[in-house]
Amino acid sequence: MTVVGDLLARNQERLSGFPAPLYQNFEAGLRALAPRLSPSQLQTWTETGVELTALSLRSWEAAVEYFKAGTDMPANMTWETLETLGRESIQMATESAPLSVSFLRSAPAAVAALGPGHLRQWADLGRRLYKGNWKSSSLASQFYDIGPQLFPVLRLQQVSRLVLFIDELARHSYELSSACLAQAPVVMTRLDDDDRLPFIAFAVELAQSSWADSRLYFERGAALLHKVHAPMRERYLLLSAQVARGHNRSAFQYYEDAAIALGELEPDDHHRVIELAEQLSPYSSFAAMDFITSVPRVLYRIRIDELEPWQRAGLRILQQSHDGGEAYFRLQSTRGEDILDTLSARVELAKVGEILRLYCKALTGRNLSIQTTASLTEKGIGWVDQGRASTEGTTVFLPEVMERYTEKDENFAAIKVFATHQAARLEFGSFEFRFGTAPAVFEDSRAALISGQQSSAVTDIERFFDLFPDRQLASDLFTVVEDGRIDAAIRREYGGIRKPLKRMQKAALEHRPDIRRMPLRTAFVENLVRASLDGASAILFPTNRQDEMAQGLGLLNAVDVDGALVEDSAEATLRLYRLAMSIPNVFENDDDIEWDSVEPMEGMDRSMMDASGELGGGQSGEMQPGDVGQGEEQYASPDDVDYRGDFKPELVQLLMKLRENAQGGDAGEMSPTPLTEEQLKELLEKSMDFDLDALMEGDLDSTTGMFMTNLMKEAGTPSSEKSDKQGDPTSDNSTGEGEGDEPLIPIITVYYYDEWDFRAQDYKPRWCAVKEQKLEQGEDNFYENTLREHAGLVAQTRKQFELMKPELFRKIKRLPEGEDFDLDSAIEWMIEKRAGVNPNEKIYWRRNKIERDVAVAFLIDMSASTDEEINKKEKKYDDDDYGDDPRKYLSWWVSKRRQELTAPPKRIIDLEKESTVLLMTALETIGDQYGIYGFSGYGRDNVEFFVIKDFDEHLDSAIKQRLDKIVPIRSTRMGPAIRHATYKLRMTDAKVKILVLLSDGRPQDHGYGRDRTEKEYAIHDTKQALNEAKREGITPFALPVDRAGHDYLKTMCEDMGYEVVADIEALPSRLPTLYRRLTE
Amino acid sequence: MAEVITTPAGALIHQVEEYNVEAEPYYLPIGDEIELFETAYAQRIPVLLKGPTGAGKTRFVEHMAWRLGHTRGEQRKPLITVACHEDLTASDLVGRYLLDTDGTKWVDGPLTRAVKVGAICYLDEVVEARKDTTVLIHPLTDYRRLLPVEKLGQVIESADGFLLVISYNPGYQSALKDLKHSTRQRFISIEFDYPPKDQEAEIIAHESGVDKQTATDLAKLGEKVRNLREHGLSEGVSTRLLIYAARLIHNGIPPRRACQVGVTWSLTDDQEVQRSIEEVVTSIFE
Repeated sequence: MTVVGDLLARNQERLSGFPAPLYQNFEAGLRALAPRLSPSQLQTWTETGVELTALSLRSWEAAVEYFKAGTDMPANMTWETLETLGRESIQMATESAPLSVSFLRSAPAAVAALGPGHLRQWADLGRRLYKGNWKSSSLASQFYDIGPQLFPVLRLQQVSRLVLFIDELARHSYELSSACLAQAPVVMTRLDDDDRLPFIAFAVELAQSSWADSRLYFERGAALLHKVHAPMRERYLLLSAQVARGHNRSAFQYYEDAAIALGELEPDDHHRVIELAEQLSPYSSFAAMDFITSVPRVLYRIRIDELEPWQRAGLRILQQSHDGGEAYFRLQSTRGEDILDTLSARVELAKVGEILRLYCKALTGRNLSIQTTASLTEKGIGWVDQGRASTEGTTVFLPEVMERYTEKDENFAAIKVFATHQAARLEFGSFEFRFGTAPAVFEDSRAALISGQQSSAVTDIERFFDLFPDRQLASDLFTVVEDGRIDAAIRREYGGIRKPLKRMQKAALEHRPDIRRMPLRTAFVENLVRASLDGASAILFPTNRQDEMAQGLGLLNAVDVDGALVEDSAEATLRLYRLAMSIPNVFENDDDIEWDSVEPMEGMDRSMMDASGELGGGQSGEMQPGDVGQGEEQYASPDDVDYRGDFKPELVQLLMKLRENAQGGDAGEMSPTPLTEEQLKELLEKSMDFDLDALMEGDLDSTTGMFMTNLMKEAGTPSSEKSDKQGDPTSDNSTGEGEGDEPLIPIITVYYYDEWDFRAQDYKPRWCAVKEQKLEQGEDNFYENTLREHAGLVAQTRKQFELMKPELFRKIKRLPEGEDFDLDSAIEWMIEKRAGVNPNEKIYWRRNKIERDVAVAFLIDMSASTDEEINKKEKKYDDDDYGDDPRKYLSWWVSKRRQELTAPPKRIIDLEKESTVLLMTALETIGDQYGIYGFSGYGRDNVEFFVIKDFDEHLDSAIKQRLDKIVPIRSTRMGPAIRHATYKLRMTDAKVKILVLLSDGRPQDHGYGRDRTEKEYAIHDTKQALNEAKREGITPFALPVDRAGHDYLKTMCEDMGYEVVADIEALPSRLPTLYRRLTE
Repeated sequence: MAEVITTPAGALIHQVEEYNVEAEPYYLPIGDEIELFETAYAQRIPVLLKGPTGAGKTRFVEHMAWRLGHTRGEQRKPLITVACHEDLTASDLVGRYLLDTDGTKWVDGPLTRAVKVGAICYLDEVVEARKDTTVLIHPLTDYRRLLPVEKLGQVIESADGFLLVISYNPGYQSALKDLKHSTRQRFISIEFDYPPKDQEAEIIAHESGVDKQTATDLAKLGEKVRNLREHGLSEGVSTRLLIYAARLIHNGIPPRRACQVGVTWSLTDDQEVQRSIEEVVTSIFE
């Protein structure tokens, strides 16, 4: 009998008590192993299996797997492996049979993948996850089960790290760790081999500090990591891990943000960025990650090689203060902004807009506003070319940023050239074209052309272009000539800008397309453009047609004289058009004909100066705009000249006309009647069809329709000349739709203010948006009622304030000169003189006038907390009145109710309002300027600032009605409100400026501090805002109306006045004293 | 030192410190102001000169004093100028007692002196003065031509040549500092504004000696900067300032720098407005 037969027979009985598969697998295993093992080894193997079977109630299942493993063992198996397997299984099964099952099931694959020597280690890894309870047992089982999927991806060392992570995570949540484990094979497959270990290492850190993010990390982490340049990934993960080590809950967020940021950069730059981040890491791991996250935004403003100086400046701040440095790298610090600004060569329109606005105003004498080119196309009023500078008559549109050169000054000079060209169009009258105006250089030939013709044209320039069959060509020629005239005027009038202008012209010339590849007529126009750019050397034209070109250039030069008008440009256009039409638009294919430079014809003879006659071809009606003659090429407009931007005289004249109409002004000479829609539509189509063809497909009708509506709206809204009262660079007006006196939607003006971060000891730049609007109007009886209710107080206050008036003159004695002798001093003088003492010469008196030049701003807290009743606590003293007698209580209650119904309990806001009314009457008496403002809001983007009475408004019924609408609304972000009130005060020219803050004294808002309960941040910011006001020469004064307000206000008002108003009755007696103290 | 003389009018007074206009002060007429002033003087109608600072009001009065002195056959026409300030009182104008070694001594104020010698009395920026000065101005500016000297108990009838000229700058008009109508309506008003570009250039060239091109550029700068009035700038740049800048240029300071110190920095402290003006300067000057 063979060893196998013997063993089978011997054990059949011992295994017969169990389900059939046990024996079957035993037999199969034994037969499979028989050739590879010695009889004693087989014997031992069998014994181990049987032992396993008997170990516990369900351990036979493990034994099934044990025997099965015998069958499946790979070829590299050794006896030692089998022995280990047996030992481990028995040990495991004594603790948990299912665990052992999973282990054994995956064992053959493990041996195959890891090599026979590592089975033990693998077993240990799983065992590590097992903590003796069923959850951990199932996790460990899962680990063994997943083994075959993991082995192709991970090496044992990597698996052991993974287990570390799973184990760590399991301490927090078995569900989560099980989910992560299940994902592990897929996630790991996605990663490059080198990345796996660091990836898991970060996972371990994450599991320790913000374990909840682990699932996210497993889901998205791999894809995010791919954004990082491969060689840098490990270092990146290390940086991330350091954040996690700082026990930060949002480590994954940092990881994600920074990875996305890196994804936006060139992979080659990753090395530099991460190296710089690593330098920051020892000081603050958060700063390091924030640095990476901010890089794309920073690079938007500076070049990559300037990144290091920027980082170094931040590092210095970081070394001094963590909060400061972190804010710097979060780009939430004014210092950071400043440094960026210094480093950056870019010029941003937002920063220089105000300078350019005043500059353009100086040049043109008009109230222009400056906006980005994008906002012009957004308007949808006919300008469709993105990003080209232009003007529509009231606004100059400029590119948002200028970063053409590596020096800031050069970039500024460039944007200034842009602005100057647009301003010069207005200054030198590009849009003033009139048929009736005689040209200065040419002879007037337009009159002859239109004589006897009827025209439906709305504007003069439209009518002019109507003369030309090929409108596009005419428009291009007019643009070239007029731009040339404008440039010439700029060169003549503004010597200082010649150099940068020349530079821009040179740059523009360098980018002109190859002229030899153009058909002749197109080349003719192109040459004119070059000539207008002062590029005589760049002009080339076939030698057989030099004459036409020379004439053309001569015509162009004719407007380059002092005094040339836009009408001269028009006359030149007429003549150039005729010349251009005489040149066929064909390619010059004859190789014998050279292209040569052309000298402009000098001293135009009379025939050139006179331009009577027909405009070529068109009059016969055969040639339609855009039609191409026999064998000719389609005419194409020359390339744009960037600094000149878009020139649209037709639209500008139309807009001017529409504005005039809207304002009920003179309708102009061309059309005494208002425009019809047809006229408008016709004009739009005429002036824009070639633009639109080039830019958008789709039907012209709907586009012009849209433009028309927008144009009407544009013209209907008052021009900037009227709305531009503030002149504040940071404000943008969003005007309500409604027309008429009272817009339905209130006009909201937005201002931006910095906020003080006391931790970083720095401002967060442009952090808060203050939205200013007029408070809506309510009933006006509140004002009257208050006056009636407090009639006595009002009279008293008024009287007190009137008493201040006579003090306007004060007699000052002992002056070296004055109106008359001061008798006492004069006698002293005589005595001293007689006594031989050197007498005091100051013996005169005079009355000195004390002018009242005071402006006061009242800032009323309209936060929800002002809804509280004032005397809540004090009411308790009533309690004892009724003793224990229920009837007494009832009568007390009834009387209290009645009292409350007739006079509801006073809330803080009521006291604020009433105080305001009293103050107003007082100030009206004394004649000081004052403004009343309320504030509330939610969050930094939405600080509402309500105007109840502006400084320049007079107390009228509208203001009384607004007073009624002072109600508690939302939060209290005091800082920005104070800053805005400071701005309001700055705008007044009073000598003495006072800011009175009426509040319950609790600054509080969403995001105003680390969390809702933190007060430090809000108080520091408020205090800083008050300090800023003081620096401006404004006296801040807090008038808290709640006794409980003391605590916070003390911090805020350390060294400035404050006085609690607990009771309105106290106001009249206190106010004048207070007020006098403040104003003198 | 004080010498007692008899005036042609016969009053006995102390010698006044006269403002002696020897050489002809340069003045380029912009309109008919010279003719107006001469006629007004002939009729002894008081004159109010209105206009912004540095537009040439004072120079005009000096010129007229010289002109009247030379064309009317008089040897000279004394001009007494008083710059008014907010503490200027009536007694500052009329005179007061001063202490002397032997007691008190009356000293005439500038207005009294002018009345006595028949000079032109020019009260510059008259709105700045105290309201009590109107008490003096009113009787002097109508048919009476009287100056009451309260403290002496005297009334002085003006000498024939006397004329009161006042100036005022509507630019800083505020409710507090407006001229009262009862005062205003005793004068004819000549309005001054900065001269048109070409004339201004001529003035600048004459006063500073710079070449025509520079003078034109400066006048252009003036025109442009004045466009900013009411917008960041309460006053436009005065001709006087432009002349100062021109003098700096004439004496070797580079134009851009001269305009910076002579125009930009003198005009405003607002950095943004400064920068804008500077951009205008760099556009005009190389």
